[in-house]
Order: sequence, then C-alpha cells, then structure tokens
Amino acid sequence: MDYATIQTLHNSLPSFSPYVPTSLLPFIALILLSSTFALAFYFSTLPKTAPIRELGVALLASVLGGFGVVALFCSVGVYV
Amino acid sequence: MLQSWRTLCLLVAGALLPSLSLAGPSFENTAVVRTIELGGSVVHVSTTYAIKALEAGQTVYHIALAKDEKEKTSWMEAKVKGQANPLVVTVLDEDDAAASSLIAVNLPRQLSANGTLNLVFESVQTHATRPHPERAAQTDPQLLNYETGLFVLSPYNTLVQRTKVKSLSPDVISYSTPQDVDEFVRDGAVVTKSGATVTYGPYHNIHPSADVEFVSNHQQTISVHYNFDYPVLEVKNLERSIEISHWGANLNVEDKIHLYNAGPALKGQFSRLEYQSQNFFGRLSPHTLNRLILQLPPGVTNVYYYDLNGNVSTSNLRVAPSVPKNSKATQNSILDMRPRYPLLGGWNYSFTLGFDTPLQDSVSWDAANGKYIVAVPVTTHIPGSVVDEAIVKIIMPEGASNIEFISPFPALSSSVSTHITYLDTIGRPAVALTYKKLTGKHTGMIYVSYSLPFFAHLRKPLAVGTMFFGLFMLGFTAKRVDLRLHRR
Repeated sequence: MDYATIQTLHNSLPSFSPYVPTSLLPFIALILLSSTFALAFYFSTLPKTAPIRELGVALLASVLGGFGVVALFCSVGVYV
Repeated sequence: MLQSWRTLCLLVAGALLPSLSLAGPSFENTAVVRTIELGGSVVHVSTTYAIKALEAGQTVYHIALAKDEKEKTSWMEAKVKGQANPLVVTVLDEDDAAASSLIAVNLPRQLSANGTLNLVFESVQTHATRPHPERAAQTDPQLLNYETGLFVLSPYNTLVQRTKVKSLSPDVISYSTPQDVDEFVRDGAVVTKSGATVTYGPYHNIHPSADVEFVSNHQQTISVHYNFDYPVLEVKNLERSIEISHWGANLNVEDKIHLYNAGPALKGQFSRLEYQSQNFFGRLSPHTLNRLILQLPPGVTNVYYYDLNGNVSTSNLRVAPSVPKNSKATQNSILDMRPRYPLLGGWNYSFTLGFDTPLQDSVSWDAANGKYIVAVPVTTHIPGSVVDEAIVKIIMPEGASNIEFISPFPALSSSVSTHITYLDTIGRPAVALTYKKLTGKHTGMIYVSYSLPFFAHLRKPLAVGTMFFGLFMLGFTAKRVDLRLHRR
C-alpha cells in the first residue's frame, strides 16, 4: 500500500476505543484487588477437607487479581 | 569472428552510452535563478528553471547537482512553479568519474517542441556552513562561512543564470569575487550586494556544464562570510521510542537527545558574570543557547524531562487541548525548556524528554482487514537544528502480528525485533527505523499497521493470574505438608 493511500485510509477510519474506559480503571483496580484480598483471606480459612472449594476460590481470586494488577499498573501511569 | 564483432558492438554501445545518458539537446534553460537562504545548520537552496523543450514529446527533465552539493543535500523536492503537488524525482546512479549527479524529474505533462515550463527545485543542505573564526569568546559575534560553486550546473544550454545568496541579517562580512568569468558577463558587475542579498550574475550563454570539462575549466568556489544571530544546533544522536498500550489507551513517546552546539568553540573561560549580565540586558550572544521552545502534540500529559543528574525542573509547559484523529491540530502544546547549563559553542548536553498522548488520537481500527493503524511523527523538531542520526523504535502491544510499516521518506534501515518490558511473557514486537540528517522539512508520520486478536489482550491479565494461582497452590500444598519433627 503506498503512502497516500494509507494516509487517507487512516484519516477516514474510526479511532481506537479501549474495551474498558480509562477513566474507570482506578475504580476497577480498587474493586478487583480488594476482592482478591478478601478471597485470599477466605482461602486461608478453608479446611483441608474441601480441595475443590479451595481450588475454585484460588482460580477466581487469581483471575480477579490478574485483571486488577493490570488495571493498577495502568492507573498509576505504567501503561502496560 | 563472431566474438570480435560482438565486442566491437559492445565497445561502440559503451562509448555512446554516456552521451545518451546526458540527454543531449532536448531542452534549453531560458533562465535559471538559484536562491540560497543562509542559515546555521541548515541552508535552503531554491532553484527556478525556466525550461524550453527543443524537441517534441519530452517527459523527463534532468537537473544536475555537483558532487559536493549532493553530499550536503538531505532533502529535495521538485515542483511546477505555482502548483502544490511535488513531481516524481529519481536520483540517477553516477560513476566516480562524473563531475555531477543527475536527477530525473518527471514532467506533469508532455512538452511539445518549443513548449515552456517553470520548474522549482528546492533542497535543504546540512553541515554546509562552518564557523569562520573557529573559536570565539563569549562576547564575540557568531560568524559563519558558506561555500558553493559559482555556476548552476545543467546538462542543457543555459541562456542566463544568476545566484542570489540571502542572509537573515544585512550584516554580510565579506563575499568572494569570481575571477575569469568575462566570457559569460555581458554588462554590469560580476557580483553585487544590496541589503542582505549578494547576487552573482547574470551570466549568459553557458553551454552544457554537467561534465568534468566545464567543472575543471570554469567552475569556481564562491564563499560568503556572514553574521548569524541564532544558535547553530545539531542533535548528534536521537533515540526515539514510542510505546503503544491498548489497556491504558496510551501512546508514550520518549526521546533521548544528545544536543551539540555547533557554533564557534568557546575561547577562554566561561564567565557566569558575563552570562548573567547578557541575560539581564536581553543581549545574549547567539552562540550561547539557554532555552529551547519545542512543539509537542496537543493533548499531551505526563511530560517528563530529565538528564543524567536527575529531573530538570527548568521548564514550562502549556498544553493545547486534544484534537480527534481526523482533524488537523490548530495549536500544539508548547514546552519551553532550559538545559541545566547554558550551551556554549562546542558544548554537549544529553537529556531525555518523554510524554503521553491518548491512543485515540493516533490509532485507527480497520474493521475490514482486522488491523490497527498507528500514525507517529518521526521527530520532535528542535527549531534550527539538524539530527545527524536518528533511531525511531515503535513498540507494539504484546501478541501483535502481521506488522507492516511505511515511512514518509526513505529510511536508512529498518528491522523488527522483540522488546521486553513490564508484565511481558513473549515480548513485544518493535519496529526500528534509522534515519540520517533530518531537518525541519522531514516532517510526516510513520504508519504502522498490526493486528491484535482479542486473546492477545488477555495475555497480560492471565500471566499475572497464573502467578497468583501459583502462590495459592503453594499455600495449598503448604497446608498439607507436615513439617513437625516428632510424630504425634
């Protein structure tokens, strides 16, 4: 594609929009990370007799924590 | 027998080829005017050719550039006078024995016999001036010397030509007078000066001059010694790194600049007292640089400016509001920055300047091809400077594939590599383009297109989540391991 074509194409296309609006990212980080913390606390109170429950809580906490850490990084200025 | 016939044919063709390539008498220059606008690190040369076709059906006109001029030229453009669209130019390969290199300009329309056209050929020369007293004290003026060939070379006959050398201030110290040009001068002086313009010419009836014979017999060097009131700046090295983040919807641009003051070297010691008094009375000498005013994109946030010692706080930023991607920015953000110390002639200063802009202003989404297209400017131009070497690195988000890029003007080299930074698992693809001798004319955007599937966006959260899950599993197994020393 030559330069003029890509220039007009770029000017006519819709601009990028993120999946999650950036203004909400600090609040999302707060909610997700605090729920990760709460779930981790709950995980530590579970008895040894229920490994399925432990694994389930661990999975949920990890997924929430993953998204929470990425949101945290973006809200403090490290745009990952 | 056949072999010797073949070699004879080749010899004849070889002898004829140079004359064929010099495009015999198919054009005639009725008038050539070259205007040289003197500057510090960049010099603008604009040559107007009034051409007349001698044969019908001409579509290509050749412009000759002397060898030394071509080495100094970093940007060139040919246009029909009065029109905005540039014409297609091709630099023809030359051999070492030739005195000049030829540039083929594709005319916008075919010229019939005796058809006329006005072509304007603009070029920018870098490193063309030299400080003439090479060392100057802090209070001395900044005097530069510019040298060029007297005649404008051309492979065609020129009926009349003149060269006008314009300085920004009327303070031209001296200019050289050409010798032995009587055969070209009809009446009037060989060189005249009025105000800030020194005119060499008019010279009449110059036969085709783009060959070694003319250059050795008639071409001579003229020099103009003038006063220049602005700093002569060079960026020895520019490393520009542009990082795209989709989660944060942010484009971060970081420039590592090595600035050099290419004015006359400082003679004697730097006197802080002298500098302060010059500053107070507003009469700072031109080879002392104490501030730079840079234009940053609108909507810029998080601007940082630091050097090896740490943050540099002597700067002021005025942010212009962000504009959507399609519209042209009416005003740019302005950063008024002062280096940590004033730069005198021959001094260096290295610093890092970075800023964030919203990604919406630079990236578009092509739903038809499933690709994102990002437009990034090549440099943040420092007014009055030339960038000797630049490396522009554009870092795409992790998992980007199908990467294509195009540069507004040819790059020296390009490469795709992997860049690793925070929270990366497979690394981010980075496109690196290298350039040389960039001036204020080298504006334009580099376009990079890449595709990023939805799962690639999830790679980072899943990587962090996997790490958390590992910690949880560690706790899970720790609960079930018995570390007591005595059995109960």
